[in-house]
Amino acid sequence: MAGVELLNLSKSFGSVEVLKSLNLTIQDGEFVALVGPSGCGKSTLLRIIAGLEEETAGEVYIGGEYVNDLSPKERNIAMVFQSYALYPHMSVEENMGFNLRISGISKPDIKARVQETAEILDLVHLLDRKPSQLSGGQRQRVAMGRALVRNPDVFLFDEPLSNLDAKLRVQMREEIKRLHQRVRTTKIYVTHDQIEAMTLADRVVILNQGIIQQVGTPRELYQNPANAFVAGFIGSPAMNFLPATLTSDGTSSRIELEDGSILVADKRANQPSDGKILLGMRPEHLHLSAEKDEHSLKGRVDLIEPTGAQNHLRVTLAGKSTTVVDNSLTEVELGEFVNLKIDPDNLHLFSQ
Amino acid sequence: MKALMKRLPKISMHAFLIVSVLITIFPFVWVAMMGTHSRSEIFSSPPPFYFGSRLLENYEKLLDIMPFWLVLGNSLMVSIIGTAVTVLFCSMCAYGFFAYEFRGKNVVFGVMVASMMVPPVLTLIPFFLTVKFLGLLDTHAAIWLPLAANAMGIFLIRQYMVTSISRDLLDAAKVDGASDFRTYWTVVLPLIKPALATLGIVTFIALWNNFLLPLIVISSPDKYVLTLALRSLQSVANTPWGAVMLGTFLSMIPLLVAFLFFSKQMMAGLTAGAVKG
Repeated sequence: MAGVELLNLSKSFGSVEVLKSLNLTIQDGEFVALVGPSGCGKSTLLRIIAGLEEETAGEVYIGGEYVNDLSPKERNIAMVFQSYALYPHMSVEENMGFNLRISGISKPDIKARVQETAEILDLVHLLDRKPSQLSGGQRQRVAMGRALVRNPDVFLFDEPLSNLDAKLRVQMREEIKRLHQRVRTTKIYVTHDQIEAMTLADRVVILNQGIIQQVGTPRELYQNPANAFVAGFIGSPAMNFLPATLTSDGTSSRIELEDGSILVADKRANQPSDGKILLGMRPEHLHLSAEKDEHSLKGRVDLIEPTGAQNHLRVTLAGKSTTVVDNSLTEVELGEFVNLKIDPDNLHLFSQ
Repeated sequence: MKALMKRLPKISMHAFLIVSVLITIFPFVWVAMMGTHSRSEIFSSPPPFYFGSRLLENYEKLLDIMPFWLVLGNSLMVSIIGTAVTVLFCSMCAYGFFAYEFRGKNVVFGVMVASMMVPPVLTLIPFFLTVKFLGLLDTHAAIWLPLAANAMGIFLIRQYMVTSISRDLLDAAKVDGASDFRTYWTVVLPLIKPALATLGIVTFIALWNNFLLPLIVISSPDKYVLTLALRSLQSVANTPWGAVMLGTFLSMIPLLVAFLFFSKQMMAGLTAGAVKG
């Protein structure tokens, strides 16, 4: 097992700078998810750690060792690909044992290790099959088995669940989580699905346009997003943003929306300076309320989407369409004006 | 009547196919029949369209006028070695174009593809001079070596690799610790069998039927290949056409065997990518 450290890592493809001087330390045994929108550089970063892509500048350390000049094999990493990348002409057993065979391990040892890994992943009955005879979930497990059997220092996952249907994805997510609890090897997991990242990882790295936006535990990212990008990226449904004007005195802040509505909150140490700001409110923090006060806003209901356990409402607030998750299942009518109350601690203020 | 009308397209299609098959196999059957007749029977009018009784006689005459089995062996050797070497080197070149990024890759590939447009006859003199320079004149290598890495073969296999092999597989092999050659040999080659079979059969036929190159580079009769040897019989006085036809028919048999051997893979190669899989 080993930690991973990236120092001033940059990568350019021609004139396009994909990664911009990244610094990141991943502890030994930690499960870190790299999340970001398509094209943010997360897969490139993973490939650089794997040794499949060469960095333009910067240093990569695995287990304290400088590995920039080492081949993927010498780095002792294992990777699970989005497309599974199983060798189609080999059986499951041969796929899992391929690396061991190359490493010159004896046949009985290979068989024993493959068998042991297959038992962990419930693949024993599939060992003689070819990848084409397996379902998506089974292929995924074989891909993980192929990585696991090598006993690597670091596991790299490149969007491993994105080819699976929603139900299987949830199931495989649980299996990966269980696997990590059992095999506490350092894992770096790339995904564009924030739910996957939040549920699996000890820490999440949010990337955008080749720059790390924030690194933190799922709770930290949800509760204290560093900027509007992180706030909008984390959470489902996404956070609502309204342009507003902030004025503060010694102890309190006054947030005035574009339609003149006003919210009042305690002044925070790290809030943006007075002037134009973006006010962020999570849909699940907006509650329907009978009374209007300084912690509530009035809006018109434009759309109601019942999901069973909760209703998703589209409400126009200060001229902008916002989402409200109503767990109380209150009966509301289209076009009805409602009061939406929010705890001042759940207001997020970002510079514009 | 209505049922007949409904089946008419199918009947027409079958009729068309049967006629096409007959036209295709007619020369082969005709050659086989002529191989069992004497010269005078062949030139009688109307010519005999049935199997005759001079098979053994023709066979003895064939061995009399040419060392048939030696020449057949030469042709087999040239075709088998040439096919194996061509398939190996073309696939290695194709792998280079597929798997690696290097400066000028597209230019080199473009020039290579463009070279297919040059009529082969134009290159005959340079070809002869090169073979002479290499000291390969009057050797079998002069027939198969120039084809060892040909543009058509490289292009065919490279295109197949592009459509059928995911780059993730190469990365997975790299992460697994496979060397470049091992990746090519263990991962890539088994996945391009249909393309290899297609190239194999095309190369085998080209080498087997090759007349022009052996004519230019081979001068010793003991190194003749079938095409040269059969052609040389035309200068024999009173050419024994029955024996020549028998020799021609026997020379087709290895091709039929090779086709039967490769045809399944070849069909897969020709139709690969035609349907979404």
